[in-house]
Amino acid sequence: MERRSVIGQRIRNIDALEKATGKAVYGIDVSLPGMLHGKILRSPHPHARILRIDTHKAEKLPGVKAVVTADDTPKIKYGAQIHDEYPLAVDKVRYIGDEVAAVAALDEETALQAIRLIEVEYEPLPTVFSPREAMADGAPSIHEAPQNIVTHIAFERGRVEEGFRQADYVLEDTFCSSNVHQAYLEPHVCVVKPDGSGNITLWASLQAPFRNREILARILNVPEGRIRIVQTIVGGGFGGKATQLLSLYPICAFLALKSGLPVRILNTWEEEFSASRSRMPAEIRIKLGIKRDGTFTAKELNILSNCGAYAGTGPAVVGTTATRATSLYKFPNVKCQADLVYTNTTPIGSYRGYGNPQLHFSMESLIDMASEAIGMDSLEVRLKNAIGLGEVSVNGFVMNSCRLKECLQTAAERSGWKEKRGRGRKVGRGIGMASMIHVSGNRAIYPFFDGSTAYVRINPHGGVDLISGEAEIGQGANTIFSQIVAEVLGIAIEEVRVLPLDTDHSPFALGTFASRVATLGGKAVLLAAEDAREKLFAFAATKMEVNPEDLEFADGRIRKKGSIDPGMEFKEVAKLASHANGGAPILGVGSFVVPSSVVIPDESRYGNISAAYSFGIQVAEVKVDRDTGKVEVLNFFSVHDSGRVINPLLGEGQVEGGVVQGIGYALMEEIIRKEGKVINGNFTDYRIPTIGDVPPIQTVFVEEPDPFGPFGAKGLGEITQVPTAPAIANAIYDAVGVRLKELPMTPQKILAALKKSPIK
Amino acid sequence: MPKIRIKMNETLHITSVPANLTLLDFIRDRLGLTGTKKGCDSGNCGACTVLLDGKPVNSCLILTVEADGCSVDTIEGLRQGRGLHPLQEAFIEHGAIQCGFCTPGMILSAKALLDENPNPSDEQIRQALAGNFCRCTGYAKILEAVKSVISKHR
Repeated sequence: MERRSVIGQRIRNIDALEKATGKAVYGIDVSLPGMLHGKILRSPHPHARILRIDTHKAEKLPGVKAVVTADDTPKIKYGAQIHDEYPLAVDKVRYIGDEVAAVAALDEETALQAIRLIEVEYEPLPTVFSPREAMADGAPSIHEAPQNIVTHIAFERGRVEEGFRQADYVLEDTFCSSNVHQAYLEPHVCVVKPDGSGNITLWASLQAPFRNREILARILNVPEGRIRIVQTIVGGGFGGKATQLLSLYPICAFLALKSGLPVRILNTWEEEFSASRSRMPAEIRIKLGIKRDGTFTAKELNILSNCGAYAGTGPAVVGTTATRATSLYKFPNVKCQADLVYTNTTPIGSYRGYGNPQLHFSMESLIDMASEAIGMDSLEVRLKNAIGLGEVSVNGFVMNSCRLKECLQTAAERSGWKEKRGRGRKVGRGIGMASMIHVSGNRAIYPFFDGSTAYVRINPHGGVDLISGEAEIGQGANTIFSQIVAEVLGIAIEEVRVLPLDTDHSPFALGTFASRVATLGGKAVLLAAEDAREKLFAFAATKMEVNPEDLEFADGRIRKKGSIDPGMEFKEVAKLASHANGGAPILGVGSFVVPSSVVIPDESRYGNISAAYSFGIQVAEVKVDRDTGKVEVLNFFSVHDSGRVINPLLGEGQVEGGVVQGIGYALMEEIIRKEGKVINGNFTDYRIPTIGDVPPIQTVFVEEPDPFGPFGAKGLGEITQVPTAPAIANAIYDAVGVRLKELPMTPQKILAALKKSPIK
Repeated sequence: MPKIRIKMNETLHITSVPANLTLLDFIRDRLGLTGTKKGCDSGNCGACTVLLDGKPVNSCLILTVEADGCSVDTIEGLRQGRGLHPLQEAFIEHGAIQCGFCTPGMILSAKALLDENPNPSDEQIRQALAGNFCRCTGYAKILEAVKSVISKHR
């Protein structure tokens, strides 16, 4: 009997049981005997020179065990991409929330009391909060960067001026997107334990522990081998706990090393909003040339983004904004100029989609405007220009699998696009769509390589362990990995145990970002499982006196293919193999490096950065209340080409969660600052969607195996919220005839726009 | 320090606590029941939801002394004998758990609803869970999971 494949099955998350019963240990749950509690003193000034720090009173407070300032540290600059920050401020603070000093005490209250006793004398410096002002002549210099520019991007491919001349219409407009928080429910928290000889162990809910360890070793100025990071269960990440290590972690380490005791630091939500790394806002001026038949002739972008006080992952984020969405369509000519600029606000970072939602919002909105200008259905315009299989985009992305056009057609059919579009204006109902593209891993993020390694260990007792350094953060990576191992070794998924991520035991891995884990991590797991199978079969073959190639798995046994001979039990073979080898387990090793056709882009931002690209279409149906400006999303359709979906239950979960985050981005979320100070840094004033805000979401997977990913899988994690805002913006236009160009599209903005625009 | 008597998951605790200790910190730090999650610590996210005499409350907003004489149920007390509560089963089965940080609070809010109204409408479920944030699932599978328990009851 043919064994039923576990690939493509709706298999429940393997860690759901411990989470449903309250047994799962998150970062916030880690507690050690004798553990101290740390608190960070943060700058109240957006920009100031530090003249003096006096910690004497704090040190004398009973219960205080350690106080640290920059003088207790090696003062080595670090950053995810550009080394421009210290874990504790040296000489200067650059935003409200910048870390100045820290205390570890017997309890949180004492620590809080102690940081209030630290005297800091500041000399306020001139401040600048908007990127445009920061670039102007005479603006205060935040670092040494000319015009405060962190990253400048400029490229032209094809001949843009000529492209615009060939167009029948040229449209140009400016779109602004907001700074939003990942709003994972578990705040940043860590516990660091020193061992007394200079080694430390750090427990935290991180997305990229090995990358985090590299940065931590740099900051502490110790070899990486002295640092062990143990990943706990992660209470949400969405990019916010990835490659940019918040200063909280090294500060906790400094306190632990100085006190000689375990120390815990937990961010408050006020600190989360003012001093963690949220999504880059962007102002994008976009110009599009289009022919009467719908063909795009040229596109030009001018991007201005606020980086905040430190670079963080900003340079790569703005690089994504400058290029990614362009590869959705066959643009013959493109030009782009982008500036990412330092200001005295909270530094930005990465959030699901990196810089991609920002450009999607402007481009997919302008495409609808252009379609109206030429009198064509925007569906037809998208179909006409959509990139296809085997094509190479203007930025060099190679489409080895691509079903964007099928997604467009499917989305239109499922949503009733043709029947509904343009019919609801009398009652304020509308429908809108937007396309999407994203990567499955990005070669440009880590300079040295992209790829992954996994071990599959068949133990002497017959149990199978999977060991990977890629991070489960709730998305279901470990479940997908277990499915892959179970599939290759012919065992039940319950028989695969995924070992916790620990930098002392797991293989080096880049971690969870750039939608890379299922595709690249999964590929390594597949190779490791195949390697283990080969070794197991090789041993079994000697016992059974057959060729290894003639063996197969059947019901927990290994037997000769097609034979009625029962063969040997899987567990028995594992045991005997171990006995024959001094107790060694069968160790399958799978190492995978992306093919050489996947490259770091050149200076003109040209290059095939990922082995596989995912596509899709979202369609939103909305109702707009003309009296209140309130938008209700009535229905939502999300159609995806993410290759073969290894687990549709988890896949739908990614889509539904992403769409709802996208609805928050589109309609309600924004961190608001006044003179650099966050004024809505709590969940009363910063609203995220609740169960009452969400529409029914229909997910469709247009499945075609990708030639590269494991069992044909491609990335799905981030793309799901990439086009949500423009789909809703386009639906609002269809409903009431006003074009919103600034996120979030709040009732106030909609009312203001309605006032200006007579009912059409 | 004030003395309190609290029945926690069917076990009576008689102890004294500082007057300013929140019920959440009592549950997590004193009793070591870390299934109750500390999210925003300001009454917004619902991750710390427990049942106080059967009613869902944000335990971060309640002082331990206010719970004196009450019974409190946390996620650890939800198992029915050796088995899981039907809501736990349903959340697992329907993919309603991703990172899981909201799960204990979400399940307890749902339990309180079903204990009071075994046959709620979609709207009533939405109302009952409106105080529990989930950033991962988009709520779709949570709604499905709760509805599946209702239909099994019928």
